[in-house]
Amino acid sequence: MTSVAERDGKGDGKAGRMTGRTPLAARRDLGWIGIPLVAAVGLAAFWLLPDDLALLTRIAASALFVLSLDLVLGYGGIATLGQAAMFGTGAYAAGIVAVNWNNDPFIMLAAGGLAGGLIALTTGALILHARGLTLLMLTIAVGQIVQEVANKARDWTGGSDGLSGIDPAPVLGMFRFDMYGRTSYLFALAVLVVGLLVARRIVRSPFGLACRGVSEDPLRISAIGGSPKSYLVVLYGVAGVFAGMAGALTAVTSGIVGLDSAGFPWSAEALVMLVLGGTGRLYGAVIGTAAFMGIHHILAASDPFHWMGFIGLFLIGIVLFLPGGIASGVERLGGLLRGPSQNNGEDRA
Amino acid sequence: MTRTLRNALLGAAFGLALAAGPAGAATIKVGVVAPFSGPFGVVGKSFKEAIEVYQAEHGKTVGNDTVEFIYKDLDQPNPSQSKALSQELIVKEKVSFLAGYFFTPDALAVAPLIDEANIPCVIFNAATSAITEKSPRYVRTSFTLWQNTVPLAEYMAKQGIKKAVSAVSDYGPGIDGEAAFKTTFEKHGGTVVDTIRMPLKSTDFAPFMQRIKDSGAEAVYAFLPAGPATLAFAKAFNDTGLRAAGIKFFGPGDLTQEPDLPALGDAAMGITTTFNYSRAHDSAMNKAFVAKHKEMFGSVDSVTFTSVGAYDGVHVIYQMIKNGGGKIDGAKAVESVKGMSWESPRGSLTIDPDSRHVTQTIYLRTVEKVDGKLENVEKQAFPKQPDYGYKLAK
Repeated sequence: MTSVAERDGKGDGKAGRMTGRTPLAARRDLGWIGIPLVAAVGLAAFWLLPDDLALLTRIAASALFVLSLDLVLGYGGIATLGQAAMFGTGAYAAGIVAVNWNNDPFIMLAAGGLAGGLIALTTGALILHARGLTLLMLTIAVGQIVQEVANKARDWTGGSDGLSGIDPAPVLGMFRFDMYGRTSYLFALAVLVVGLLVARRIVRSPFGLACRGVSEDPLRISAIGGSPKSYLVVLYGVAGVFAGMAGALTAVTSGIVGLDSAGFPWSAEALVMLVLGGTGRLYGAVIGTAAFMGIHHILAASDPFHWMGFIGLFLIGIVLFLPGGIASGVERLGGLLRGPSQNNGEDRA
Repeated sequence: MTRTLRNALLGAAFGLALAAGPAGAATIKVGVVAPFSGPFGVVGKSFKEAIEVYQAEHGKTVGNDTVEFIYKDLDQPNPSQSKALSQELIVKEKVSFLAGYFFTPDALAVAPLIDEANIPCVIFNAATSAITEKSPRYVRTSFTLWQNTVPLAEYMAKQGIKKAVSAVSDYGPGIDGEAAFKTTFEKHGGTVVDTIRMPLKSTDFAPFMQRIKDSGAEAVYAFLPAGPATLAFAKAFNDTGLRAAGIKFFGPGDLTQEPDLPALGDAAMGITTTFNYSRAHDSAMNKAFVAKHKEMFGSVDSVTFTSVGAYDGVHVIYQMIKNGGGKIDGAKAVESVKGMSWESPRGSLTIDPDSRHVTQTIYLRTVEKVDGKLENVEKQAFPKQPDYGYKLAK
């Protein structure tokens, strides 16, 4: 960690120059509004859609997961299809802790974050020397290994039957997780907002800026004395903590963990949601998740038999007309509103 | 154009309001969670068709109440989504019953919900024995691996088979099957010379065939999830000469379920299985069921074990509504159907008061060609088989 602290000055200098090329300022403004907006919209949804809290809870927990992917992909440039390995590890860790030792939701979250971070650090150190397609394949492999271990360790994880019987204690000993999902939702929303704040802090720290530097030009980072790989491994680990917490959050709110939580489809779906929302923005993860899962829900409810086709059309539409994701559209709109002088708000898609 | 559309919509809305209005009777809603899209979409389809057949035969009303089914798509095993969908059905749609559930984790996920909301949950498929232990409000109208395997293992032992090998996919149901087989077969004097667990996603079975061959077994008990894996396994069994070598092939009937038979083709011929339902079951009630299905949907290709699981599940739900006189109290409703017996297209059924799982006849079948179409032809019946795995498997 000290090496990161030492590098503060250099990191800042680098960031200053980067600002000139990519309009970090514009993004920064929106990023500042983003988090209170998420909290406000989330709370409004609590009052306006009291019957849909189950869906909203899943969106909040998934958004935290997609956020972790954004840290890795959007800020570190690490192409991964194995982020669910960390999510699943966190979910199982939280579940196992709850079933065997302590079912306090905060302890479950901590266990999930710790497990997710550890697995990310270990596997990251092993695979992050690779780039591009090789790395992509390695991340998939890690996901498969985690899933197979969970399947084999039936005594601990329940195997393919899932780890059931997770009964989290009331939050702070006062708010029970009831079937209406009020506690679940507010708890998930709170964790998501705190997660966003912390993530924002991280990506704006000298360390975060250095990671962005690595993703844009690793050679240059080496030239100024940094170690691109160690930055990426630490970033991967930090994102693993987020993913693990998201998994733990799902374990807390749903009371069960299945093999799907570490599966390849879940990694891929997270990537779709992130690209849909827009990478490298943090709140793009939230927008993408809410948009994808919301639309998925509406379509699947209106036509449970053929909704998949419509989801496909929707995704094609977004990719064709908003290649930088929904968030880029929002930014463009913001740029237009502020007037043409500042309308250089194109993302780096 | 728009005006016509608007008028039509207004008319429709008005008509609906009228239809719902004067009867004064309540609508009892049943939420069905199952895969309706994706690779397992055929399961949801068979559920829905069976429900519609039942409603066509028995009417949509019980007493003064109309029974309405609401479908939610859950395309793959995903317990957290299963819980969210079920929660929505309870909180938003105010359903009085939950039903469906194809995969075990999806069914397990709703245990705390149905207890808190006091709602009965009728499982149309999910076959792990342990599910009904998790809540007193589960009722299951399908089967379990234990239920199908125990009579099969006994039959194999009676056939004079001394040495057998089990080959199962390495996941919950496979391991259930292996345990049931080993326990029963050895109890009846046989020896299980090797227990092979194959990775769930493997498609190359040649090495396992070699192991079966080397084990010197006379017969193999196999369980794999229905679909491509089963197909590849059956093909490998033939291609590597195990069938020619006289090794007999047994398994639970999931292996040769009706929708898969055309794809399995002649490779499936002669496979002996035990199961709770065959489309070719010879009874007046089954013939009527299949005929009604054909009349309503034009084909019987999708009729299989999931169809009767849903059909009988709806019967249990109707009975619970009847018993409660239109008032539904989850715990009492489940209590009221304990021990209930009835005739179904698959034979006689009884809900075991302890396990809340159906006690039923298990049939020994062999895949044969009937009028040019592959069918599971029943050879022998083992009546009154309970769920042997209840409070046993862990």
